[in-house]
Amino acid sequence: MHVLFIHQAFPAQFGRLGLELHKRYGWKCSYLIESLSSCPTPTVEMLQKLEILRLPLSEEFRKERVTPWSQAFGRHLQLCQVVFEAVRARPDLRPDLVVGHDGLGPALFLPELLSCPIVNYCEYYFSPRRRDISYRIDLPAAEPAEFYPRCINAATLVNLVAFSRGYAPTHWQRSTFPKHFHHKIEVHFDGIDTELYKPRRLPRTFAGRTIPEDHRLVTFVARGLESMRGFDLFMRLAQRIARVRSDVLFAVVGQDRSYYGWDRLHTGQTSFKQWVLSQGDYDLSRFLFVEHLHPDQLADLLSMSDLHVYLTVPFVLSWSLFNALASGCVVLASDVPPVREVISSGVNGLIEPLFDTDRQLDTALRVLADPAAYRPLGQAARRLIEEKYSLEVAIPELKEFFERAARSA
Amino acid sequence: MAQDPLNLLCIEPRFPGRLGATADWLVRHRGYRCWFFCASADAPEHWPASAGKGLEVVGYQTGGAANEPAVTWIRYLERGLCHAYGCWEKLQSRRPQPVDLVLGRSTGLGSTLFAPVYLPGVPVVNYFDYFYHAHAHDLADESGPSVPVEYFHWRRSANAMDLLNLESGASAWTATLWQRDLYPAEYHDHFLVLNDGVNTTRIAPQRRATRRVAGRTLPSDTLVVSFVARNLDRVRGFDRFLELANRLLRRYPSLVCIVLGGPIVQRGLDFQFFNQDYASRALQENPPHDPQRLWMLGSVQPEVVAEVLTASDLHVYPSRAFPVSRSMLEALASGCIVLASDTEPVREIITDGQTGLLAAGNDPESWERQACRVLDDLAAHKPLAEAAVQMVRDNYSQDVTLPRLAAYFNDLAEAALPS
Repeated sequence: MHVLFIHQAFPAQFGRLGLELHKRYGWKCSYLIESLSSCPTPTVEMLQKLEILRLPLSEEFRKERVTPWSQAFGRHLQLCQVVFEAVRARPDLRPDLVVGHDGLGPALFLPELLSCPIVNYCEYYFSPRRRDISYRIDLPAAEPAEFYPRCINAATLVNLVAFSRGYAPTHWQRSTFPKHFHHKIEVHFDGIDTELYKPRRLPRTFAGRTIPEDHRLVTFVARGLESMRGFDLFMRLAQRIARVRSDVLFAVVGQDRSYYGWDRLHTGQTSFKQWVLSQGDYDLSRFLFVEHLHPDQLADLLSMSDLHVYLTVPFVLSWSLFNALASGCVVLASDVPPVREVISSGVNGLIEPLFDTDRQLDTALRVLADPAAYRPLGQAARRLIEEKYSLEVAIPELKEFFERAARSA
Repeated sequence: MAQDPLNLLCIEPRFPGRLGATADWLVRHRGYRCWFFCASADAPEHWPASAGKGLEVVGYQTGGAANEPAVTWIRYLERGLCHAYGCWEKLQSRRPQPVDLVLGRSTGLGSTLFAPVYLPGVPVVNYFDYFYHAHAHDLADESGPSVPVEYFHWRRSANAMDLLNLESGASAWTATLWQRDLYPAEYHDHFLVLNDGVNTTRIAPQRRATRRVAGRTLPSDTLVVSFVARNLDRVRGFDRFLELANRLLRRYPSLVCIVLGGPIVQRGLDFQFFNQDYASRALQENPPHDPQRLWMLGSVQPEVVAEVLTASDLHVYPSRAFPVSRSMLEALASGCIVLASDTEPVREIITDGQTGLLAAGNDPESWERQACRVLDDLAAHKPLAEAAVQMVRDNYSQDVTLPRLAAYFNDLAEAALPS
């Protein structure tokens, strides 16, 4: 079986998946991508065993960092054309199945060239209200807020109509799509590497600093330190924890960049991180900021954590949350529907309202006062990931789904 | 079936466009107050009677891609969003209040998409025209290998605005089942299928003691074959009509063919001849057998259209599969014997041998054979025309369809009221 994956970045959702399909079942997996990702980065094994084709994009196209919202669909169509030309230039590339990200993997024009089925990776459908980029109404208003969410799904919709089959990683992500398209969307999770992310006892050093045995370590991980992942809310919580306990250090992993939403427009500044730091009186000696960690370093950090904080708005769950659960962390997360699909508060994690710092503080302090008492939550979280979200569970399911999809040709 | 007067906000890129006639009827017959927001308008002499008397025409400004003379197909959605944004800006400054219902038609230009930003909670109804399929219907059915692949790319992307509108919470309205069924099956149950109808008071069979068209008198023994389209393009089958006309002109010395419609192709889906004078090209490729008997009258006033349909012995509608044009319904309402292409949208309206005649689009002999049968014995085919008039009166008269639309609007507005 030969699967062609199409995505803006590599490895993103498809890199590890393709590698596993190759190693376990001997499948050939090819990729059409815009660029290699820095978070997570591709492994040497991926680069050796998978065929990765970079789209021949012009310098001008690559340099455009911010596309005006009214032109987003046009940019998507340009990418669709580049993908079409790339496949046309490779007549030997004859996959049995194409898997494309519905918004970021522009496969729309490929039926003109390929007769194989095309599967949509249905990651997310944006909402004009009360979710994702429209959720943080507590921040200063951004001009596109009323308009962009009403047209942001154009590419997703065109793909939903064009292709007969798709999958979403979680039930909540599937539920974000219009109900009448649910019959096209199955739920199959991507898979977490439970060999890499697992509880382990290691010397507690991070970013060149030794964490004293009698200190507590609170972790926060996001691709970007931005409002949608609640970086500002975490800092508010951390500041209050720090005032109460002098023995807590905070490890914050994430780039000084907003990947989603309108932080620049909310704040009038290019750096949301700096804007947040300028808002409070933080003792920065208690914080260890790191822009990026390799997966094994992240696994090490999570295994040292006494409390992992995850304060997302209702949006696609971060891999870091699953990694933390797999590592046996005690997770304090925001009480939003995508989190509730995974975490049962008091069973395998703790959930508090996103904006209720008082309650978050109470809960966090209870955990930090007696981490051992909360360890069963971390153990239950580990079991959950092993049983429902691990590569061992996810890959065979996806293999079966892809085979079914390929047979539908 | 309550049909109370409503405050209606109509939005269509051009006035009166498609919705103008409906708005006019609702103002005059149901007491509506209407603001008609548009980016451009026909000359005021073509406006409906209620303009200025209950129907206020309000122009909105567009910016960005909407103001460029032409944009590539990749930027069509961007252009539509500029329309939608311009309309919202005008709503913000003009502030029509109260509004019970918004009625829009995007034709790909997204006019109502941002109206709910100004009018949250107000029901929106969108009229949907046409959902493109990459390789089917209109000209795509006949596309050969010479057609550039970008044409099909465009068709795969061209429905973005309609999909956004369908997902925006607007109620969907279209004129025929065929049009509805072009849309993805997931939406079919949401559609109101209701033709906006023909004004059968104005368009009805007339006595024709003397047949006059555009100031020219037609002798009583002249056979008249008519073709009417907004523009003489391939979608409406002008090429097919010319082929038939020449065959008939050769066969019948007393026959006149009358053609109404502008020469410049205005539909972007005919990428090959868009913005070009296709009529002249078609006439060059298939020169008229007798130019004196092929009357090319161009774009004309509605009165001249009525004269032509009244004078017509056979009305030819050789359109490719595309939403049925108003002119065909008007021909049927006028008592014409209609010979139309045998396509699904036409079959929804005309029953072959009962209310008109159908011929396979790509079979010139069939068209000629059927046309000759009619022209050789007009009286024998008169029952077809009589049945067509009755069929239009029963099913497609504004006085039948628009009260149902008013009741539908009433229900939506009622449901939106706070309980």
